[in-house]
Amino acid sequence: MVPTYIREKEDDMPKAPTASAVTLSRRTVIALTANAATLALTPLGALAQGGGAWSRVDEALAIVGDADPIAEGVVLDLPAVSEDGSTVPLGVSVDRPMQQGEFVKAIHIIAPGNPYPLIATFNFTELSGRPEVETRVRLNESQTVIALVELSSGAMLVGERDVRVTVSGCLARADTYDTANLFTTRVRVPESLAAGESGEVLTMINHPQESGLRESMDGGLVPKRLIERMDVTLDGEPVFSADLHRSVSSNPYIKFFMTPQSGGTLDFTWTEDTGETAHESAELAV
Amino acid sequence: MVTRRTLIKSLGAVSVAAPMFSMPSIARGQSAGRVVVVGGGFGGATAAKYLKRQNPALDVTLVEASGRFYTCPFSNLYLGGLRDFESIGHSYDELTDVYGVNLVTDWAEGVDGDAHTVTLASGEVLDYDKLLLSPGVDMRWGAIEGYDESAAQLAPHAWKAGEQTQILKAQLESMDDGGLFILSSPENPFRCPPGPYERVSMIANYFTNNKPNSKILVLDSKDAFSKQGLFEAGWRELYGDMIEWVSLSNDGRVVRVDAENLEVETEFGEVHKADVLNIVPPQKAGAIADAAGVTNEGGWVPIVPETFESQQVPDIYVVGDATVAAPMPKSGFCANSQGKVAAAAIVASLAGQEPPAPSWVNTCYSVLAPDYGISVAGVYHVADGQIAEVADSGGVSPADADSDFRRREAEYAVGWYDAIARDTWGTGA
Repeated sequence: MVPTYIREKEDDMPKAPTASAVTLSRRTVIALTANAATLALTPLGALAQGGGAWSRVDEALAIVGDADPIAEGVVLDLPAVSEDGSTVPLGVSVDRPMQQGEFVKAIHIIAPGNPYPLIATFNFTELSGRPEVETRVRLNESQTVIALVELSSGAMLVGERDVRVTVSGCLARADTYDTANLFTTRVRVPESLAAGESGEVLTMINHPQESGLRESMDGGLVPKRLIERMDVTLDGEPVFSADLHRSVSSNPYIKFFMTPQSGGTLDFTWTEDTGETAHESAELAV
Repeated sequence: MVTRRTLIKSLGAVSVAAPMFSMPSIARGQSAGRVVVVGGGFGGATAAKYLKRQNPALDVTLVEASGRFYTCPFSNLYLGGLRDFESIGHSYDELTDVYGVNLVTDWAEGVDGDAHTVTLASGEVLDYDKLLLSPGVDMRWGAIEGYDESAAQLAPHAWKAGEQTQILKAQLESMDDGGLFILSSPENPFRCPPGPYERVSMIANYFTNNKPNSKILVLDSKDAFSKQGLFEAGWRELYGDMIEWVSLSNDGRVVRVDAENLEVETEFGEVHKADVLNIVPPQKAGAIADAAGVTNEGGWVPIVPETFESQQVPDIYVVGDATVAAPMPKSGFCANSQGKVAAAAIVASLAGQEPPAPSWVNTCYSVLAPDYGISVAGVYHVADGQIAEVADSGGVSPADADSDFRRREAEYAVGWYDAIARDTWGTGA
């Protein structure tokens, strides 16, 4: 007798025995998306239609305000095809000659096809030097991802990039989060830098970054629980900070650069939406 | 979810495609078209054979550098002590003797897409009407600091079967009991998504039988992997705590290799020292794809889903691991399936006909122990201009199957290998 060969979807492959019931149904996804009321406005390839995808996204328009974004100098690095929408590596850098005293103040990342489009805002200072950041994000579906760059002069730049997601990772992944290492923090800073030299800083915190959109075992939603902010200071002076939202991947990972004139103690603080914080510090020799 | 019967029905739809396109042969001496196939692995050998099966009048030349092809599938079973090396080697005798394919044992070094020529290492130039590339993958040397071709002699990748596989096997055999085997697994996409995890399972099998105090550490650039739940459950059941997996989020990503000292350093600065070190590095399409101008900025080949013709250069078709075919994985079975679709499209195009509607199939078996197998399967079609998995066509083995079920899947794995080797090279296992 050949037994009936019942197979399970790979995406739902449980770490816990009953987790195949955890997948969020398509209907629920649509309902959640409809609440955000932005999806239909931004089809893939919107750029080709002129005007830029950003001009049809409420979250982008709110950031742009009265500015007139220039599509120039923003390099948005994303894989053209992603096979795992739950962890898509994303890098942004700005390659444009700056006016005297002008620097990149903030980079905003927006994924219009996600239920909550604003992914993160990265805030730079003159100490952070090089305007470049890398992180890992959740993409719910194929879409045009937008980076809005705010300059200290008030000018604004925009970069956009189409990404195809073949397996949606935001919502469908049913794996439970292993909380054994919750709030474990890791940083890596340059061993030493010359004054004015730019060095890479890596940070990561173990955290589920629960979007509040994932269905739990009992059919309800796993409550939202987010690292919503990371702050980095050098002897108390702000160097870099990040505002993180629901579409930053679990275990938030951020790579940025700093260009210090003198050494000191780097302090890293992660803040959860409950108010709970985690800290890490490292000595930087310049 | 599907029953086995539905799955077989879907598979059947693929295999009947071949006879539909066979056509009467044209008088001898008058070629119906010249097709050059580069690469004699699962994709290229299958394509060469099915081109001749569908239209024996075609002039088909296969360019392959090695006289005998060793497969990545089942090379882990060789490492695990379940098979001998020659059992994963295949000759081209059927292609030449039965199907009349011209075999050229050489490297293809250049392609001129405008002139429709392929230049070989020997300097010989082949003309083609249609070119099919099945170049597999190349390693991205230097993507991990310190990992280049010479480092791979000390810390093998063994991700192309052959000498590399034998180096790794010899190192495992000379390692003392109680040693540490480290495998570094890359980010997606890469050849054979379950491969690294089958490999450590097979090495755990070898250790259990020969060096039971040894340990295995997987340092991963990912937070999740294919058939993860099944692998982890199997590891616990079969090997206790011998295998430890360190995810990306627990600092598993290797960024530097010191092959002389068998040391690796992870992203956040932890250094691990191995007794045997296996680095599976990031990959890209095989070099001839670059030379032909068919790769994208990511190093892979975008193709037209219906035919697997390059999106960038007409009359060049590309199949297998080199292509962007997601959600189809980079597997031998997919390459075989794609080789048939591309062959049918080439035959149709040369006859001035529309290509048939394609369907692809894939099964990846992983053998965790001699009597313990698991699998993932899928059927694919074109939907909205993209390759997509047919809804509920496949999936993975059940999580709660009994030992008898796992034993049968290990047997099916051997049956699968035997069948695909016969289909591709006409050689049994």
